[in-house]
Amino acid sequence: MKIMPCPLNGPRNISEFVHGGEVREMPNPISCTDREWAEYVFYSDNQAGIVTEWWLHAASGYWFIAERHTVTDEIIRTYDPSEIFKERVEFSAEPATEEVSA
Amino acid sequence: MSAITPESFSKRSFVYRQLSAASFTEVAGAAQAADLKNGRNQAMQAGLLDLSVLPRTGFRGLNAAAHLQAAGLPVPAKPNQASVADSGELVLRLSQKEFWVLGNLADEGARIDSLNQQPLPDSNCYPLYCQDSHAWLTLTGAHLPAIMAKVCGVDLREEAFPLGSIAQTSAARINVVIVNHQINGLPCFTVLCDSAAAEYLWECLLDAMGEFGGEVIGSGALS
Repeated sequence: MKIMPCPLNGPRNISEFVHGGEVREMPNPISCTDREWAEYVFYSDNQAGIVTEWWLHAASGYWFIAERHTVTDEIIRTYDPSEIFKERVEFSAEPATEEVSA
Repeated sequence: MSAITPESFSKRSFVYRQLSAASFTEVAGAAQAADLKNGRNQAMQAGLLDLSVLPRTGFRGLNAAAHLQAAGLPVPAKPNQASVADSGELVLRLSQKEFWVLGNLADEGARIDSLNQQPLPDSNCYPLYCQDSHAWLTLTGAHLPAIMAKVCGVDLREEAFPLGSIAQTSAARINVVIVNHQINGLPCFTVLCDSAAAEYLWECLLDAMGEFGGEVIGSGALS
């Protein structure tokens, strides 16, 4: 079986992991356009080459980041998300907007 | 005196239906399988013990380690390591910020109840309810790595998985936490699995133990 090196638990069978999609910068949900938000939520780049992805080690509930080559399926590096996300992301409440009447 | 049965209590083990041959004692407000007409010799050979009724708790967050230290419990230095408290509790460090504490059979897990009554730090420490979410099965005896090798892909031999190690992995295709420890000098692998899968894993472990002469044991076989 293919082996994935988990930063917390060490090498484990790939069947213990769940793919979580590309790591990408979140646009400001208050100020971005609907299109930008939809692109962030629904679309992926799907590029051929080295991508940075979220992965979950299901047995320990641990999310981490992996750099993987999508053509060769080689896992280049895995690391704890704290390398990228240094602090907690807070969401402020959106100021109330007027409802758009039909 | 009427015999104690799991049905005598509303709190029951997740595998109590598998333990019909046992005689029980009351532990922590539930029935603990104490005797299955085999003794410590069976535990030394290969035993499967259900400790699901024994209290356990957990804490998560940046201040979880400090909370355990304040309660006088040892904090393992790294994730996936376990420490034994002076009073016999097992402290598991499952990640940088997550800890589980498993009660000691000798005091029926009384220290866990007092730990749960202590106030939490003001921020960044959350309780985890692993009592109801996870079953606690303990394998004992001389063949632990060989038994687990039949259901688990991770190397659990002494060189790779020494005393005090934890492996969070998949066994018999369900997620488990495996802890290498000792009770009264007896080699033990404690296996914590999702409570809903407990009966399934129970059968899988018994099947894997078959060729090593494994049997279900009661808590009395530990002493």
